Amino acid sequence: MKEGLNTENKSTPKILAIGGGKGGAGKSVFSTIMAFWLARMGHRTVLMDVDLGGANLHTLLGIKNPDRTLNDFITRKFNDLGDICIDTSEKNLRLISGASDVLSLANPHFSQKIKLMTHLSRLDADYVVLDLGAGTSFNVLDFFLIAHKKIIVLTPEPTSIQNAYIFVRNAVYRKLSRLSSKNPSLQALIKIAMDPKNILKIRTVKELFQFIEESDDTNIIEDLKKEIGDIHLGVVTNRVKNEKEENAGRIVQIVAEKYLTITSTNFGCVSYDSHIQKMVSDMVPLINLDQSSQAYGNIYEIATKLSKG
Amino acid sequence: MIDRIDRQDSVVNRIIDGSITIDSVEEFKDLFKAFPNDPRLHRVFADRLLEEKSINAAEEYKTSAKLFLDAGMPLQAIACKIFEWRIIKPSKEDGLALHSALCECNPQNIEVQKFFTKLAYEEMIALMAKIVPHNYPVNAMLRKFGDEENELCFVISGALEETSYHRLEDDEKVKKKSKTNLIESDIFGEIYPFDEDKLSESDIESITRVELLKISKLKLTALCTEHPNLNLLMQNLCKLRFDANREMYSKTIRKATRHQLPMQVNLKIFQEQSGKPPLKLSGFTDDISLGGTCVVLGAKYQIGNISDLTGKNVKIQMNLPIESISFNILGIIVWGKEIPVEGKKTAIVGVQFKEINPVDRGILKGYCFGSEAEQNLIWSLWDSLMEK
Repeated sequence: MKEGLNTENKSTPKILAIGGGKGGAGKSVFSTIMAFWLARMGHRTVLMDVDLGGANLHTLLGIKNPDRTLNDFITRKFNDLGDICIDTSEKNLRLISGASDVLSLANPHFSQKIKLMTHLSRLDADYVVLDLGAGTSFNVLDFFLIAHKKIIVLTPEPTSIQNAYIFVRNAVYRKLSRLSSKNPSLQALIKIAMDPKNILKIRTVKELFQFIEESDDTNIIEDLKKEIGDIHLGVVTNRVKNEKEENAGRIVQIVAEKYLTITSTNFGCVSYDSHIQKMVSDMVPLINLDQSSQAYGNIYEIATKLSKG
Repeated sequence: MIDRIDRQDSVVNRIIDGSITIDSVEEFKDLFKAFPNDPRLHRVFADRLLEEKSINAAEEYKTSAKLFLDAGMPLQAIACKIFEWRIIKPSKEDGLALHSALCECNPQNIEVQKFFTKLAYEEMIALMAKIVPHNYPVNAMLRKFGDEENELCFVISGALEETSYHRLEDDEKVKKKSKTNLIESDIFGEIYPFDEDKLSESDIESITRVELLKISKLKLTALCTEHPNLNLLMQNLCKLRFDANREMYSKTIRKATRHQLPMQVNLKIFQEQSGKPPLKLSGFTDDISLGGTCVVLGAKYQIGNISDLTGKNVKIQMNLPIESISFNILGIIVWGKEIPVEGKKTAIVGVQFKEINPVDRGILKGYCFGSEAEQNLIWSLWDSLMEK
């Protein structure tokens, strides 16, 4: 699977994937407000709920029972992904709801996933914001890896930082694995390298590259380095209460650079806002949030950076 | 002696932190088959029996206390004994037996735990008569900046966040200084020296369910006047709190860190009757460790009574994100329960791993936690960027 879909065609939307592993980090809230701001900036935006195991994005937009969902596309009730987009009360913002029987779509077949990914690039939109589900199953990682902008959202808590890093680590190994799918000996080597105490003493992706360079007579190493080097992360720290907590994203950046050889941009922080928690629990649409909210302002700044980048 | 409590088991951890509740005595009995020596589980069971006003609660507290002592945790053992002796009044022999067990206990390398093994019999009894257990829910504010420091608190279980402040000289305004966490076997309460009236310089709020043992400054002052050795031990304990326990903090949190990234799994549950085909289910892990996992089953699990699965052997097929890696782990279902997910009914099962070959174990460790070096760097950055 090729990372980053073709952008030469002007009508191809830019895909932003919002991941980060652990549930409860605020990915869905961030995705919704991000999509809202992109729409407000005049970009035709589609927000897509890729939490295939527990979709709930529609509720954050105040839509109780979406009349079309991803199920309808997967089951071929609609053949065009654009046909299952639902208009929202916000101009320029449409939703592809993942709402379905809980858990039933959590593991779509390979062909279903490929179909979904292919159609994503054909959507008539400027931006597609993918709200990924929790976890690091290969489906979640594959959607993360096809995006033009790969953003991880975490909170300033040890478990969130650790899980966000593990999410990135598994995404890198997933990509390495796919790139080497036609080379069984390389696949076996990657499998060995995944064990932190492997007998070859490969402890980092950099060391893995060195090992491949020394032992493999093909030229795959350059391709691997380039492809992994092309994974550029965006990091967002959510629910920040003070200056120190702003450093949480920095921790993931440093460890990812050292051990996985991937670079990243710190997109900044989103302040803790108790109103947002209350709106979510009261099922009040997030686009009704008072725009003087600091969190709204923070996400506006991130949306501005992303749309310029 | 048990070296330490096995915190690798996700099912027990979920029960202890309250995210899974066990409804019946039968469910507990099934769990004890899988985790016979977990003092925390026995403690939860004892509390349940106490709620039900069962006479068996005392025996269960006794069992839990013994297991805590075996695990080098006298503080938690004493909490159990307080509850046991509230139900059945102890004889002098019971008191002497406890004191003897405390003296023989090989405590964890934590000052609070060592403290309880150094008490003389009379000091132990006097202290136990005055300290009182208290429970707090998550997000409870236990102490606010400026409150009078009038009690000493021992953390039996759970975690709290302490936010310290600077007090400015010109007025009452304060600015935030630092945040630290207080965890199991920590203490708080700036009550020394007794003759000084102190005001709290921090807010203390629970971040999980918390159980404390508390003693008021007034009562402790009286006890320490009567027992000079206790006074010395207490002073020493309070002084050491800021070094030894602080060091223990990150280690304990590391141990408690759990992998919470869901993973798609297929289960093959073997039936007891030979010739009967295994039950095939799928779901995702809700929480996974090297000792076991909780699996939330798919919506179509349709297997009748979920608790009937308890005790059955299971093969878990895990599909890791690496193309070539899909491995099987053998385990036993130790517990099952119906739960609501996203408003719909499904079920969760707790699986204890029986057998993982070393290669798969290594890969699973890498998948869940990364390497030790990666973890160490995360924690070292956490300490330097977030804590100080």
